[in-house]
Amino acid sequence: MTEREPAELATGLEAASGPAPRSLYVHVPFCVSLCPYCDFVVYTGRSTRGPRSRIDAFVGALSQELELRADIVDARFGALGSVARRPLDTLYFGGGTPSLLPPASIAALVQVVRERFGLATEAEVTLEANPGPDDRGDATGFADAGVTRLSLGAQSFQDEELRTLGRRHRGAHVADAVLAARSARIASINIDLLYDVPGQTLASWTDSLERALALAPDHVSLYALTLDDPDAEGLTGELGDHLPTRSGARRWRAASRRRQDDERATAMYHHATALLAGEGWRAYEISNWARRGHESRHNLAYWWRQPYEAVGPGAHAFDGTRRRWNAARLEGYLAALQPPDGSKPILPPGSSETVDASTAAAESMILGLRLDTGVPAELMAEPALTDAFAWAKSLGFLLVDGSRVRLTTRGRLFSNELFARLI
Amino acid sequence: MIPQDRLRNFSIIAHIDHGKSTLADRLLELTHTIDARQMTSQVLDSMDLEREKGITIKARAVRLEYTSSRDGLVYGLNLIDTPGHVDFSYEVSRSLQACEGAILVVDASQGIEAQTLANVHLALREGLTIVPVLNKIDLPSAQPELVLEELENVLAIPREEVILASAKEGTGVPDILEAIVARIPAPRGNPKDRLQGLIFDSHYDPYKGVVVYVRLAAGTLHEHEEVRLMASGAESEILELGVFRPGLVPVRSLSAGEVGYVATGLKSVRDAQVGDTITSAGRPAAEPVPGYQEAKSLVFAGLYPLSGEDYPLLRDALEKLHLNDASFTYKAESSVALGFGFRCGFLGLLHMEIVQERLEREFGLDLIASAPSVEYQVVLTHGRGTVAVDNPSRLPAANDIEEIQEPWVKLSVVTPASYIGPLMELSTNRRGAFQDLEYLDPQRVLMRFHMPLAELIVDYYDQLKSRTAGYASMDYEEAGYRPANLVKVDIMVNGEPVDALSLIVHRERAQSTGRVLVEALRKLIPRQMFEVPIQAAIGSNVIARETVRALRKNVLAKCYGGDITRKRKLLEKQKEGKQRMKRVGSVEIPQEAFLAILRMGEG
Ligand SMILES: Nc1nc2c(ncn2[C@@H]2O[C@H](COP(=O)(O)OP(=O)(O)OP(=O)(O)O)[C@@H](O)[C@H]2O)c(=O)[nH]1
Ligand code: SF4
Ligand SMILES: [Mg+2]
Repeated sequence: MTEREPAELATGLEAASGPAPRSLYVHVPFCVSLCPYCDFVVYTGRSTRGPRSRIDAFVGALSQELELRADIVDARFGALGSVARRPLDTLYFGGGTPSLLPPASIAALVQVVRERFGLATEAEVTLEANPGPDDRGDATGFADAGVTRLSLGAQSFQDEELRTLGRRHRGAHVADAVLAARSARIASINIDLLYDVPGQTLASWTDSLERALALAPDHVSLYALTLDDPDAEGLTGELGDHLPTRSGARRWRAASRRRQDDERATAMYHHATALLAGEGWRAYEISNWARRGHESRHNLAYWWRQPYEAVGPGAHAFDGTRRRWNAARLEGYLAALQPPDGSKPILPPGSSETVDASTAAAESMILGLRLDTGVPAELMAEPALTDAFAWAKSLGFLLVDGSRVRLTTRGRLFSNELFARLI
Repeated sequence: MIPQDRLRNFSIIAHIDHGKSTLADRLLELTHTIDARQMTSQVLDSMDLEREKGITIKARAVRLEYTSSRDGLVYGLNLIDTPGHVDFSYEVSRSLQACEGAILVVDASQGIEAQTLANVHLALREGLTIVPVLNKIDLPSAQPELVLEELENVLAIPREEVILASAKEGTGVPDILEAIVARIPAPRGNPKDRLQGLIFDSHYDPYKGVVVYVRLAAGTLHEHEEVRLMASGAESEILELGVFRPGLVPVRSLSAGEVGYVATGLKSVRDAQVGDTITSAGRPAAEPVPGYQEAKSLVFAGLYPLSGEDYPLLRDALEKLHLNDASFTYKAESSVALGFGFRCGFLGLLHMEIVQERLEREFGLDLIASAPSVEYQVVLTHGRGTVAVDNPSRLPAANDIEEIQEPWVKLSVVTPASYIGPLMELSTNRRGAFQDLEYLDPQRVLMRFHMPLAELIVDYYDQLKSRTAGYASMDYEEAGYRPANLVKVDIMVNGEPVDALSLIVHRERAQSTGRVLVEALRKLIPRQMFEVPIQAAIGSNVIARETVRALRKNVLAKCYGGDITRKRKLLEKQKEGKQRMKRVGSVEIPQEAFLAILRMGEG
């Protein structure tokens, strides 16, 4: 990825309305069951299996949306093949549990993408998968469909913690999933782990981390369990990008929040940081570590504020100035793209906001500081920012080397305190 | 022009929410004062705050023209819609002084409540004719028979005089208009005498200067006349005069008995105060009309700009707002913790909240209010006299104090009889002394207590409502000072005394109050980058201590495409939160912390 890291991109401060998107996100909103902490747009149960399964209808709708979105990109930047339309560099199937889709469906979707958006030869094609036997899917089939990177939602290797989290798999299943992916010759494997889980200890966390590393993944994402309330944030309305939180999940979150502990979480983060650094991992983002060359190019596009296209319910896209999203609800999504009366498909409901110049600058700074490449050190001299930077510096949050300023580990842990002062 | 004998000046009075403003709507409609298209509910409640809270805060005058069905003649009716909340009874009494009559509205489903009694007494004291109206008879829960009996027994209002009405549906409203004409006397005062007009309200207009609202007691006021304000001595040629319909509508003259406005062109707010008398500069009256008794502030608090530079803006805003609400007081003060600000006196807690909100909204200020206090009288040792202390942090040193006296009130509570027990307990826990109990009807009673005002302002009203499922109502009036065994509790945050958090409490309760307060503060003060001790102390003796643990992390775990907007908004909210906080020493304290004392409840 080094070739893709020109300094001016890393600052992200350049003018917004730029090139055509070179990344595409596809949201697959199905899971076998719902984890109570989950905020993603997810449908479970009958939607995913048996006669009432909506998966096939959904794949049809997705292809339809891809076509409609591609038409817009064509109109704006010229058809595929013109100078302004370089093929996609990254494609990401996220969810939900995209590994629930049959490989043939993934292959069909990749084919539509290839035809309408183009897909570079070296493109990174990620698929999120759950490690459990009933939702892991067929790694070889996915590899044949074009998947080059698998992201496994392992979360923990402790069965007790997995049960607490409402996950269906066991710790032992993660190794099976990694093995299957390796033998399918999937080039890059990520393992997601969660810390600050109710009942977790520093010892159990260390154990999970070590067992994950023993599987020799190429990338790890370590996320603090975050128990939000999208309803309170006003995200779950008719055109919102989130679904309302079920009352059971709401209760679970309230109870679990009481069993979280900032002190313990901090210790876990510090411990993981030290452990991974010792083994030569690059902590390239606040929650993401990679072996050299295995950084997630798709996620880097987000953090560099490059444009990306997106399809599927609740999915977000960015064209350089405007952030656009589809509404979360599946009914409205299907109804627009697969009209039951056979009329012409239309774009699904959704909403958008235009990012003005000062907000864009703030976003660039925040996203830039999340990365180990930081932001240009000149920013520290900007009159509106000097106080905040001086404050952060006095607390040991910053590291200035040469022309860049970046966050220390402690600075990462308090990053919101700094960001709230910078925007 | 309508002759004086066809003028009627009246207020609408009632307990809160009994339907005054809704009745005013119907009267405006029936007299075609407002175009049907411009009509909204409670159209006179035009302030944003009034519409949001659904209550009337300020009295509003309107001029109606009504053709009586009795004689076919046109009558000029000046209606004043008044607020019902206990904090604004001063506003009611001022309105009543501009009237000869009052429409007393009583909710047929609720019956007589505490402010019904209080407002009737105010009207009787002014010698006004009362037109009783039993409202909301459309409600299924209305009990007109019971309430008619109550009116008869408690207020000696004969049932034949009571008009049954539904302000919502319009029933009975024509009868009310006829009763106004038939029963309320016309104003007196000679239009040929020298001009005397009482200023009962005012507002500031950038073009017309101070606009005063007057009720003329005598004489006639003409366009372009030179006027003089008798107390301030200011003179000016008037720019405009007119009546309220309900917007300002110019007329050529106003004469004795009429109510209207006068744009004075005066730029200084001090030149034209409420209660002053307006007269002719060329032919001045010999004497002013009796003004108003000054509103007595009962609750005091400091108001401080969040950022120090806004102090001059706050001063200006207070001056302008005072013109529109003469019932609060303000004087400059400074606080070690909060910087430069103003000590303000209010009629009650709702009034305090409203003044603060109006300053913030109408003048774009961000304010911090310190904990409210009552005014104490402190007798100094060695015969050095008595000082008034309305700010606990200004209490003299313990060895200079001979005695502290605190204000007491007479409290009336109207409640269903089934809640006598809980209310007795609530009130005696607040050092209240029970006086007597009177049955209004077989199910409802009027209880009277004497109580220290300081105990009442904390959260007595909330407790009263919560213990009676909302059924009880209350009213109070001052009842002088009594000595008490009081001490000052100081609060230290991170080792630094925060004067704005000091409070004066009864000695026996100092320990428990201190404990509850530091506990409340611990929850309200957000974690900082370091540990923050919070202590309560009497003198140098620490009586309670809590610690706000240090912040360990504040980080967004996951930040991907879809989250960028969301997380940015969360950060913006955090930033706003920080901006709403006051930095005291090195600790950021949110506004709510200063009012923690009000939310302590009784556990
Ligand atoms: N059913 C019914 N509701 C009424 C009637 N009159 C008023 N209301 C309702 O009672 C509530 C209070 O009415 P307001 O007119 O605001 O009462 P108010 O006396 O002016 O209240 P304050 O100014 O706050 O003291 C509103 O929700 C009205 O719609 C009536 O005759 N019947
Ligand atoms: S598996 Fe992942 S996407 Fe599905 S419910 Fe659980 S956390 Fe959410
Ligand atoms: Mg009202």
